[in-house]
Amino acid sequence: MSAFKRKRGGRGPVDKKAKKAKIVADGGEAPRETEREEKNEITVPAPVSSGKWTNKERVLIFSSRGINFRTRHLMQDLRTMMPHSKADTKMDRKDKLFVVNEVCEIKNCNKCLFFEAKKKQDLYMWVSNSPHGPSAKFLVQNIHTLAELKMTGNCLKGSRPLLSFDPKFDKEPQYALLKELFIQTFSTPRYHPKSQPFVDHVFTFTIADNRIWFRNYQIIEEDASLVEIGPRFVLNLIKIFQGSFGGPTLYENPGFQSPNMHRREIRLAAAAKVREKQMVKEMQKMKRTDTKVDLVRDITADVFLTPAEEKPVHIETEAPEPKVSKKKQKPFKRQRMQMARR
Amino acid sequence: MVIDNRSMESVEEEAQLGQESEEENSELSDDELQEAFTKGLLKPGMNVLVDKPKKFVNNVEGLKQCLAEFRRDLPWVERLDMTNLPAEDIISKAEGKVPSPANGEINADDDFQREMFFYRQAQATVLEALPLLNKHDIATKRPDDYFAEMAKSDQHMQKIRKKLISKQMILEKSEKAKKLREQRKFGKKVQVEVIQKRQREKKAMMSAVKKYQKGMTDKLDFLEGDKKAGKDSSQVSKKAQNKGANAKRKFKDQKFGFGGKKSGKKWNTKESYNDVSSFRAKVAHAKGGKGGKKGKGGKQNKRPGKSVRKKMKGRS
Repeated sequence: MSAFKRKRGGRGPVDKKAKKAKIVADGGEAPRETEREEKNEITVPAPVSSGKWTNKERVLIFSSRGINFRTRHLMQDLRTMMPHSKADTKMDRKDKLFVVNEVCEIKNCNKCLFFEAKKKQDLYMWVSNSPHGPSAKFLVQNIHTLAELKMTGNCLKGSRPLLSFDPKFDKEPQYALLKELFIQTFSTPRYHPKSQPFVDHVFTFTIADNRIWFRNYQIIEEDASLVEIGPRFVLNLIKIFQGSFGGPTLYENPGFQSPNMHRREIRLAAAAKVREKQMVKEMQKMKRTDTKVDLVRDITADVFLTPAEEKPVHIETEAPEPKVSKKKQKPFKRQRMQMARR
Repeated sequence: MVIDNRSMESVEEEAQLGQESEEENSELSDDELQEAFTKGLLKPGMNVLVDKPKKFVNNVEGLKQCLAEFRRDLPWVERLDMTNLPAEDIISKAEGKVPSPANGEINADDDFQREMFFYRQAQATVLEALPLLNKHDIATKRPDDYFAEMAKSDQHMQKIRKKLISKQMILEKSEKAKKLREQRKFGKKVQVEVIQKRQREKKAMMSAVKKYQKGMTDKLDFLEGDKKAGKDSSQVSKKAQNKGANAKRKFKDQKFGFGGKKSGKKWNTKESYNDVSSFRAKVAHAKGGKGGKKGKGGKQNKRPGKSVRKKMKGRS
């Protein structure tokens, strides 16, 4: 901890700069922000760093009931990666989604990552700006967590990430909105009390195949050699709403196919295949029986037939005489001997 | 729902062949339909209900407005975001390949290419962000005496290291085995060659002896050459024999022990009794065959069961 203090001690001028920037930047939302700050300053102990923690972004990360272990691990990983996150108990499935807003308010969070599990196999993720929106709903696929041994990198717990975006994020309005949402959600505020004063990993968001791919890399050397830390997942955008967890739909992904539909199509395709096979079998069976009938009767068989004279039918009434065998009636040797002796 | 009236149009055209055609896309009236039905041109199954193409909402104005309201103009130091194209592909450049579809579309099914793309994007971000970070006095590396909790525990990292090492070992082993196999193949060839050579030499020697016996030559130098060759070959064979015997002997010695006291060597000691490293819960108590494999579903038995086989035999 002493090193911690020492490191940050000699950085007076930088902090001043940050303060200045805040005054310039936050013109629009200044009153609300200050209000929140005042509220927080009572409860939260003064940050360890000498810099001032101005960006009071907090992210609530939690889930509905019925998530599987992988999702739970992913959630845990996100919490370790984001020191500005908070946890909450799992939400009942019966509750309506806008209840999440109230939970956020209670937890004092203004961003929310909500994992919604359905059918114990499909995972949906909501990213939302809590009281006023917008919010986006994604289908999460291909989850790999920190616990996997394939990813060999490591980073400080609570260090701040760089956020790397694909240029495609600026091309379309829905992606631009998502980018802003991701930046506000995933970037750790500077001088956050739980954060470390280093930047040693990069979150990348890339659009490929109409999905958003998330990766996390560790910065090893200054010459940009990286090692993946994890977690990794793929977000398939479903809808963007104007409100938080509801409200009018701003965007609907035309390329999205619900996992139920996908599974159904696979099943139907399999069924169709089986049916076709059966049909072919039946056809072959029919063909076989047809051709057999044809083969037995040859139409041209009686072309060269000339009617023969009918023979009188002769019926034998007496049994035929037994054949006379040509064999000589020679007695056996013993008999012959006996005969000779007599 | 919309009725697909492509087939109906064809019907209509058939029906109106003699008459003059009016508008092409006219809706059919009930009378015409009835007429067509009586003629037997309409059959069930000709007209199919088609789903209406779904309208997808894309409210660009709303999106833009929402973004404008939602955006917070924080300084870069707070956000640390970067938007950039991926860094140059060093590998493909080194191999002299044409820069693959780097600008934009990547094949999501090609795992390596895709991951490389992500990696390069992260790289580009780091390269661009480093000067900015330096400007703001943010370090990317912690000093050596700075200890803090890491995202992954030491235990986990140890596990990772072990796995990496074991992977490398397996790779090395397989390579070694490959080499050995090749050597063995080559060795056989050499052996055959040696035998052939010996036979050839013997033949030559015999012919030379015959020649000498018949008095065709009076030189005896072939004897020396043979001696030399013979010596060489015998040496080689002896060496080979020696080596083989040695290896076998060595193994046997290692297995059964060589010299020293033999009795009591195989008794358990306290250490060996306490050593349970070779215990595998999966295999123990004859558990392995049934439960372990079935769950994994790796190799499934393709052969049908006995009753099914009997039935099959009966059928044919």
